[in-house]
Amino acid sequence: MVSKVLVANRGEIACRILRACNEAGLASVAIYAENDSSSMFVELADEAVLLSGETIAETYLDQQQILSIAESTGADAIHPGFGFLSERADFARAVTQAGLQWVGPSPEAIEKMGDKMTARITMRAAGVPVIPGEEIEHEDESDALAAIEEASHRVGYPMLLKASSGGGGKGMRAVHSPDQLIESAKGARREAIAAFGDGRVYVERLLTGSKHVEIQVLADRHGRTIHLGERECSVQRRHQKVFEEAPCATMTPELREAMGQAAVAAAEAVDYEGAGTVEFLLAPTGEFFFLEMNTRIQVEHPVTELVTGVDLVREQLRIAAGEAMSCGPLMIRGHAIEVRLYAEDASNNFLPAIGPLAVFRPPEGPGVRLDTGVREGDEVTPNYDPMLAKLIVWAPSREEALQRMRRALDEFVVLGTTTNIRFLRELCDESEVINGTTDTTTIDRIWPDGWQPTVPRSVEDAALMAAAVGESSGLHRGQTVGSGGGETSPSPFETINRRFP
Amino acid sequence: MYHQFRSPDGPIEVTVAKQGDEWSLGGLSATIMADGRLRISDANGATSFAHVAKVGDVWWVHAQGHTFKLERIEPGASDADDGGGLTAPMPGKVLEVLVSEGQSVSAGATLMVLEAMKMEHRIVAANDGTVSAVHYGVGDQVEQGVALLALDES
Repeated sequence: MVSKVLVANRGEIACRILRACNEAGLASVAIYAENDSSSMFVELADEAVLLSGETIAETYLDQQQILSIAESTGADAIHPGFGFLSERADFARAVTQAGLQWVGPSPEAIEKMGDKMTARITMRAAGVPVIPGEEIEHEDESDALAAIEEASHRVGYPMLLKASSGGGGKGMRAVHSPDQLIESAKGARREAIAAFGDGRVYVERLLTGSKHVEIQVLADRHGRTIHLGERECSVQRRHQKVFEEAPCATMTPELREAMGQAAVAAAEAVDYEGAGTVEFLLAPTGEFFFLEMNTRIQVEHPVTELVTGVDLVREQLRIAAGEAMSCGPLMIRGHAIEVRLYAEDASNNFLPAIGPLAVFRPPEGPGVRLDTGVREGDEVTPNYDPMLAKLIVWAPSREEALQRMRRALDEFVVLGTTTNIRFLRELCDESEVINGTTDTTTIDRIWPDGWQPTVPRSVEDAALMAAAVGESSGLHRGQTVGSGGGETSPSPFETINRRFP
Repeated sequence: MYHQFRSPDGPIEVTVAKQGDEWSLGGLSATIMADGRLRISDANGATSFAHVAKVGDVWWVHAQGHTFKLERIEPGASDADDGGGLTAPMPGKVLEVLVSEGQSVSAGATLMVLEAMKMEHRIVAANDGTVSAVHYGVGDQVEQGVALLALDES
């Protein structure tokens, strides 16, 4: 039985889970750090409890504090969302030992899949193909660097360094030649230690030209483990996904079944429970290789929800309560695309941006879904991940879904903080995206020297006029129509003058 | 009315005129709507809508799917160049300092590594030159926009 869920997360995913709790008739508890006091997710919970402490480690990662809030509020389940404590086996174990229901797989399953080496061994034993690679166990920096150097000869270039306990592109480096190896290895280890408190690094061959294709799985305690088809997430910048879709444009029913069965085998090999994702690299040859299993709900889960009609978070709650999952046979209908809106400057190497959301007007209309944790008036700060929202569209066909995404992105207005909206919009016009031939190097290949927006002069003129009219009429001082600026006589000198030195 | 906005290529001068409720600029005309948006018509009669917001000195404008950040140059303000490049792009922490004062560096060399928003950012030399000052050390917290190092270009 589950009757009251504590959501051990914040932002967009906390909103998603709290809304699912509400719909399922479950009471909910949010926990929040001081700097999240006025965040949207805090409002969506039945109860919200302030975390003491300042850093992330002292707040959202403080297991003891979270457990005692669960106790004092009478919560009987904890949903970890993604990131933070979601893939911490020790936390899952502590939750279970406290007599609470963990919304997710067992600590043993998290351990096996969370450790990339163990995961590979487990997968090989289950008959799931894996990529050539090795783990560097050494904790000491100079030992680790020496071992990485040695492993590089066996693994071969180009290669990928990633944090053993990592995710989200942190602690990850692509290395194309031996002279970059040491600097990249130092950087990867440092990020790994900072983000996960674990400097172990995994070295693997970088399979170029491959698609990132992942399979959603669900498993309940009634002996049922199923897959819900694939998502393609090849389009990535700095190893973070920005554009995700379901189904994969080049998928065939046979390949889907083969990958789906491999994913189910992977889940069954660790007695998986709940929602999980098995990530594969799909080579141009049609061969696929196990990358990793994410033992949690995934950022891009909405595209699967839109094409399968399954509410994955609701199923997570149902499975955690010991009920059977409610899904019938897999049925994939239409096409869904998700883009991740980041507060970042896509024209400056995707540098994170901060600022107020002075205007935040998401698009609306048929087939448009917005998952976000912010609203107009909020401030984007450097404290947390710069993802502002996920914009997801559904349409009967892939072509129509892309058209709908373009329309929705054109309507999306965010002022006060730099976002990647225009980058995403132009991405939708790229031939690889249109043809569905994207792979994990698409962004770097299309824009090898970085992306710059293409702005028609007429639109720029209109924008300059808008700013000049805004200033002249005192729009920023909240003055109303007709009251600003005073009359100026029609002038022959109304001009835009660009003085280029 | 006359305004100047900063652009990477130098100031842009914009002069708009008003008659009744209608603003004009060249072939463009605009009216302010009740919700604060602007309705803009071009010489061919095509109409579009713009959202505007001012944050500090910057006018943010959304027009036809594009977002613009137009910094207004206050009348009388000097158009000083910030010298550029070697400033902190974000508030963050210095993780590594790879150069020392007096050292010669070539364009593209990593000078400093910052951590901000859980990601590492490299501060890279834009040109060949000599490091004339290093303002921060490993572990220092830096604010956005502060000068991290100085480089005498050769």
